[in-house]
Amino acid sequence: MEKRGTYQQYLNRFGWKCVAPSMVLFCVFMLYPILSSLYYVTRRWKGMTNTFIGLGNFVRMAHDQVFQAAIGHNFLFMFIQVPLMIFLALILAVLLNQGIRHFRGPIRLAIFLPSVTSLVVVSVLFRVLLQANGMLNNVLLGAHLISTPIGWLNDSGWAKVTIILAMTWRWTGYNMVFFLVGLQSIDTEIYEAAEVDGASKVRQFFNITIPLLVPVILFSAVTSTSGTMQLFDEPNILTWQGGPANATMTAALYIYRQAFFVNADFGYATAMSYIVVLISGIFAVVQMRLLGDRRSK
Amino acid sequence: MSVVRNWSGGRVVSLLVLLLAVVVSVFPFLWMLVGMTLNPNDVLRGILTPGKEFVSNWEKATRNYNLLLFFWNSIKIALLTVFFGLIVNSIAAYGFEKYPSKARDRVFGILLLTLIIPQIAIVIPMFRMFAFFKLLDTHAAIILPSIMSVFIIFFMRQNFKMFPTEIMEAARVDGAGEFYTFLRIVSPSMQATYASGAIYLFIGQWNSYLWPLITILTDAGKTLPIAMASMMNAYTIEYGALMVIVCISVLPVLVLFLSMQKQFVAGLLGSVK
Repeated sequence: MEKRGTYQQYLNRFGWKCVAPSMVLFCVFMLYPILSSLYYVTRRWKGMTNTFIGLGNFVRMAHDQVFQAAIGHNFLFMFIQVPLMIFLALILAVLLNQGIRHFRGPIRLAIFLPSVTSLVVVSVLFRVLLQANGMLNNVLLGAHLISTPIGWLNDSGWAKVTIILAMTWRWTGYNMVFFLVGLQSIDTEIYEAAEVDGASKVRQFFNITIPLLVPVILFSAVTSTSGTMQLFDEPNILTWQGGPANATMTAALYIYRQAFFVNADFGYATAMSYIVVLISGIFAVVQMRLLGDRRSK
Repeated sequence: MSVVRNWSGGRVVSLLVLLLAVVVSVFPFLWMLVGMTLNPNDVLRGILTPGKEFVSNWEKATRNYNLLLFFWNSIKIALLTVFFGLIVNSIAAYGFEKYPSKARDRVFGILLLTLIIPQIAIVIPMFRMFAFFKLLDTHAAIILPSIMSVFIIFFMRQNFKMFPTEIMEAARVDGAGEFYTFLRIVSPSMQATYASGAIYLFIGQWNSYLWPLITILTDAGKTLPIAMASMMNAYTIEYGALMVIVCISVLPVLVLFLSMQKQFVAGLLGSVK
């Protein structure tokens, strides 16, 4: 009996040895940064020195209109781009799954292709495509669809559209693959029964497909919204440092610029990152609730 | 009859919509491939027939922009991350899954909790830490923080679940040590899992932008994403050379995807299961 106890202890020790290397890395590169941020958040940097200001950084935030606008842009992209992309991805998945009989493989591959590009590549490509003398404007002008070039990157409204276009191009195929997997798990007999009852394809889509795919849709929404909260590469490269005039400034980009570009105030930047963590946390809790409810039904 | 059914109105519309999506998805790839062979003006005009400027664009990319060095930096950093990442994360996943204990489950719960923390919140204290140890502008600064990945541990743990514990017990009866069992019996049978993990780690590091942007301070240390982004800051942009660099930076991921589609998608879907 005692021998068995020591053997269990031996196995337990081996278990700890297995997780030890990753725990060391976790403590150094995750836990320590989190704990030390508690120190940074209470301080204000001026040049090389910093002083304790308590909650002063949060007071400053309440008056910082650029930061508030940046958070607003995050929400704007979240509430327009994510639903748009999910709807598009759903339609493409359904058409691919039920609408056609040939070339399914190649078409799926082609639509997924944008997902192999990095966000930097997407930003670079779209910036060259959409700049004032870029390809899209040249083609539109050539076809006499517009008479003056569209300010895809220079107009504060169009610049937001540009970011949405780039994100949608990059992520629609990616989400479509999730939905295709979900669709394959739906029993085709349901559709045959609906067909017999005379339900149109559109009704089948809204009354059968979407309700049955809700868990997958929610999963996509969770990952997409958390991605949108972290939006950084596109506004920094595609619309050039959140421009024009901060029209596409996002929270992550503003924090980065406060810490490493504008005035190296690590305290203020840390305080703002707390707000981003808070918002992400709230979204995660809400979405996990929704997912959990669906699972238990 | 069957022809009529195959090409009813609904199918034609479906096919047209899908073809439009295909064109929109594939066009930028075509454009950047052809762009490698064009002079800067033709890149902007959207010409889709190959030109004759490829050699001069390649020379500009390698001579003026040090493409080969950036490529080497990127590939070195990504491969080292994959190598260490697979070892550290797979053995951690194995420990969490096959040696169950309440304490370790609690630790795992904390790990999962940190998944919701955005990177921007971590990079500021981490930058201060690397600055303190004078490790800024080294490739170690890029590799070290990305070795351990909660997502990979989670993903591999899901897969280790499917490995029968009876086989481990049989190995114990035969006198095999725990580490020997992991190294010689368990991991060789999990090749597909390792492949998915490797693809995920490689792409994550190959494409990473925010952290390298903060830590890389000199030209010689730049990775491809940083190099491309800083090219866009220049007053005049050599579009032909830019397209060469863009294509080179897309190529490895594209090859990975086309040659290992199954593992690639498994890596994506790992979190759904």
